[in-house]
Amino acid sequence: MAEVTSPRGIWLSVVNRIVDHNDDTRSIFLQMREGAQLEFIPGQFISILIPLGDEVRRRAYSIVSRHGDILEICFNQVVGGRGVGWLFERAPGDAVEFMGPFGNFTLDTPPQVETILIAEGTAIAPILPMLHGAQSSAHAPVFLLYAATDSAHVLYRSDLEALASRDANFRLETLIAEGDIYERLHNEVNRRWVSADGNRARQFYICGVGKGVVKIRDLLRGSGYQRRAVHYEQW
Amino acid sequence: MAKLRIKFENGDPDRLIEFNPADAPFHHDGRPGSILDILLGHKIHLEHACGGNCACTTCHVVIKEGMSKLSEAEESEEDMLDKAPGLTPTSRLGCQAVVTDPDAEITVVIPRFTINLASESHDG
Repeated sequence: MAEVTSPRGIWLSVVNRIVDHNDDTRSIFLQMREGAQLEFIPGQFISILIPLGDEVRRRAYSIVSRHGDILEICFNQVVGGRGVGWLFERAPGDAVEFMGPFGNFTLDTPPQVETILIAEGTAIAPILPMLHGAQSSAHAPVFLLYAATDSAHVLYRSDLEALASRDANFRLETLIAEGDIYERLHNEVNRRWVSADGNRARQFYICGVGKGVVKIRDLLRGSGYQRRAVHYEQW
Repeated sequence: MAKLRIKFENGDPDRLIEFNPADAPFHHDGRPGSILDILLGHKIHLEHACGGNCACTTCHVVIKEGMSKLSEAEESEEDMLDKAPGLTPTSRLGCQAVVTDPDAEITVVIPRFTINLASESHDG
């Protein structure tokens, strides 16, 4: 039997298929060698080995889903992003090596307190499996505030709407915002969960790009939410 | 020249790096001038599954000497370290702890295990 992993726990896979979400956002589905099935906690990522010149760099990509031996990751074009540029050049049948899963931004049990998930663009990637996992049994109310620059960048819309339609305890709201999207998100968070009431028993999971994530974290913690109730992953 | 001595809990021989912090970055992952950046730039491997972006704990190191010569930990690093196994009062993330003092003398220990690396035990 062929080896599933190479030394030091590097998983071997091939690109099974590619799905373009819009003009700059793509999913690739990685089929594990020899039918291996990667166990992961919703929210975790894999660390892809990306050969650039004479060296190999490692870049993290959240696991969106796993069906059997096939994993999905999702990413978008980044100006000057050589790692993601390499991923965009992959074609079905190409080999991809990775390590993992890794990461502590996870939600692995159905929430027992009101839970607010906040994501922007491709940062829905770790959130989506959290939502699927949360619905495995009864759970406290879950609210997803999902921001994007335009409707084309609201990813997995049908999946999210299907989740909301069959789970009365899950609510989805999208926020389309041009300009400083994190400023809008910050204002929404302030309006809904800081200024609106004195309830500080909620927990939050925030994922996005840049310092805007940290500003939302600071807003929540500064308004009385427990430090450990505010989880975040800043890309 | 600053000095960075590296001790490996797995028994590998100690290494000593002499460097000028002003020459940072030495590599391309982690903050420029960070312990991760210095090690990688001197061909010493330190795990950094997230690419050195303070999104995991695989670059967890324990500072044995020279803690005051490192940049202060920010809240994001402290949050991440909370989840690191073997946490000590002088734990830092290699990707975030930056050396700027040209006369710094720092000793770090690379722990044998981290929570993330433990999850790699899938081969075999």
